[in-house]
Amino acid sequence: MGKGPNRSPAHSFLHACHIRIDTAVSQQTVFHWIYSPMTDHRLSATDISVEFSGLRALDHVTLDIGKSEIVGLIGPNGSGKTTLINVITGQVHPVSGSVSVNGNEITRMLPRKIALKGITRSFQIVRLFDNLTVVKNVETTALAKGASRKAATALGLDLLAEFGLSDFADQLAGTLSYGDKRKVEIVRALAGEPHFLLLDEPAAGLNEAESETLLSILSELPHRKNLGMLIIDHDMTLIMRLCHRLHVLSSGKTIGQGDVDDVRNLPEVIDAYLGTGESEGVENA
Amino acid sequence: MLEKQNLRSLCLLILPVIVLVVLVEIMDIRLYSRIATTLLINLILVLGLQIFMGNSGILSFAHIGFMGVGAYTTAVLTMPAQMKSMALPDLYAVLKVVEINPILGIIAGGVLATVLAAVISYPLMRLSDAAAVITSFAVLVIMHTVMVHWSAVTNGPRTLFGIVNATDLKTSAIAAAIAIAMAIWFKESRIGVLLRATRDDEVAASAIGANISHLRWKAFMLSALYAGIGGGLWAHFITSFSPNAFYLRETFVILGMLVIGGAATVSGAVFGTFAVTIAFEGLRTFENAINAANIITRPVVGLTEIVLACAMIGVLILKPGGIIDTREIGELPIWDRLFAKKPG
Repeated sequence: MGKGPNRSPAHSFLHACHIRIDTAVSQQTVFHWIYSPMTDHRLSATDISVEFSGLRALDHVTLDIGKSEIVGLIGPNGSGKTTLINVITGQVHPVSGSVSVNGNEITRMLPRKIALKGITRSFQIVRLFDNLTVVKNVETTALAKGASRKAATALGLDLLAEFGLSDFADQLAGTLSYGDKRKVEIVRALAGEPHFLLLDEPAAGLNEAESETLLSILSELPHRKNLGMLIIDHDMTLIMRLCHRLHVLSSGKTIGQGDVDDVRNLPEVIDAYLGTGESEGVENA
Repeated sequence: MLEKQNLRSLCLLILPVIVLVVLVEIMDIRLYSRIATTLLINLILVLGLQIFMGNSGILSFAHIGFMGVGAYTTAVLTMPAQMKSMALPDLYAVLKVVEINPILGIIAGGVLATVLAAVISYPLMRLSDAAAVITSFAVLVIMHTVMVHWSAVTNGPRTLFGIVNATDLKTSAIAAAIAIAMAIWFKESRIGVLLRATRDDEVAASAIGANISHLRWKAFMLSALYAGIGGGLWAHFITSFSPNAFYLRETFVILGMLVIGGAATVSGAVFGTFAVTIAFEGLRTFENAINAANIITRPVVGLTEIVLACAMIGVLILKPGGIIDTREIGELPIWDRLFAKKPG
């Protein structure tokens, strides 16, 4: 299924994107070779299982992210992607398994302590501090790490300038457009100078132009900020162009992981994620 | 360090305090002086509540309990020994001989309220939403019950009299001005900004590394310091009171001032205190005039409370954040337009 003239619309879409993706991947391969992950800086979630009222949301999932590496976490809705980020960041406690960063165990730590260990995140639904100005939103992460107001403000203004958001610095975050809110949330996470950045659907709700801008921002981050990234998104173009590796979940289980090219062609991934029927498509995946 | 907008807010908020004092001094009417002094003491209490409630987003009923702690502490520590033998015959021997300066007594009241708040609130600061509100109400009930039954120190449910009269208009105005400055400084401090972040989104705040319960705890202690000092000033102004002065009615008035003005801003706290006090005094005069004119066969009572309650309901429906809800008065765009440099 999914091969030849009878392939699904979703697979046809991927096929149509093929040349573009290959070009991007080749660029990433060179990039990845230059900034190869350091063995002593790793975020590891090992054998993670999570249950909600008896329902198994994650089933013995193991995921590894190296520094300067971008890992894509994909899968159908309800496959446990956000739950895995929640486990890593301490919002959900696993029934088994462990999470460690740079060799230090962080399983079941409080979210704030995990953040201070250098793991920050964005949320599926944007969660800004709406009644604070944009610059104060960015400042908060540095303040939480113990920076003074003066130092945090300087850092916040620098980061906003770096991401082209200086014009919004004194605007209340709640009044921003959706796309700008997404960007500010990422910048806020970066203000903690994290070792690892976990982004939950950063491109959700963005138009094509905004998505393209986001892609260029994200692709440079591991190099500019010396961090590893885990990205959940349903925008396959963004994922394929951005990620060095993919991890695919379905019904809480890992069904594929490895290099983008390898994973993309796995029959289990095509069946579970890309769909085989006419009614399913990438947007719903 | 305060930014330009915050300094502007500070000046604009201290201005009405100065104007009030100058006007009352010029008019030299004792009633107005008493009203103004009460207003300024209430302002300290409202600002104290704003520090915790406005920045954390958690409603606290316990605030007025700490006002009582401040009031009784300074009363006991400053009352002349001869008066103590009449007003507090069962007072502990060690306290009978203590007689300190009222300013020191007020500060001691604030410190004791802070220490008590630190101990009581530490385990409670993990709570949010309804649980936090209900527990704060329980704390108020406990404190009131202790005040009513600890006869040796409070004279029980009876009125405690003989407290030194040491609070005047100028003292309360200076204290109120300092209270405004500290409230703005706290709001813009590292703790204040982080606490406001937790108010907007607890999950996101913990994900950036904010220690929510610790931030709330610090704000609660500062809030109790304000309440304790406010209580001490009030005790030395009113000179006789009973535990009922620190219970539901006062809680409702202080809360009403903050909710109507806008809990999230210091400007809202100042505006609410002035607006509600002026409305209260106007209604009280109106009530007295109606009763004096015998327009209605039965005397009109409770008009002020009913109107305050209706005003609270109205504000919560029409403008849930209060009259000045998000930006301080010095941050309003009008100032930038007024002081903007003209091109050319």
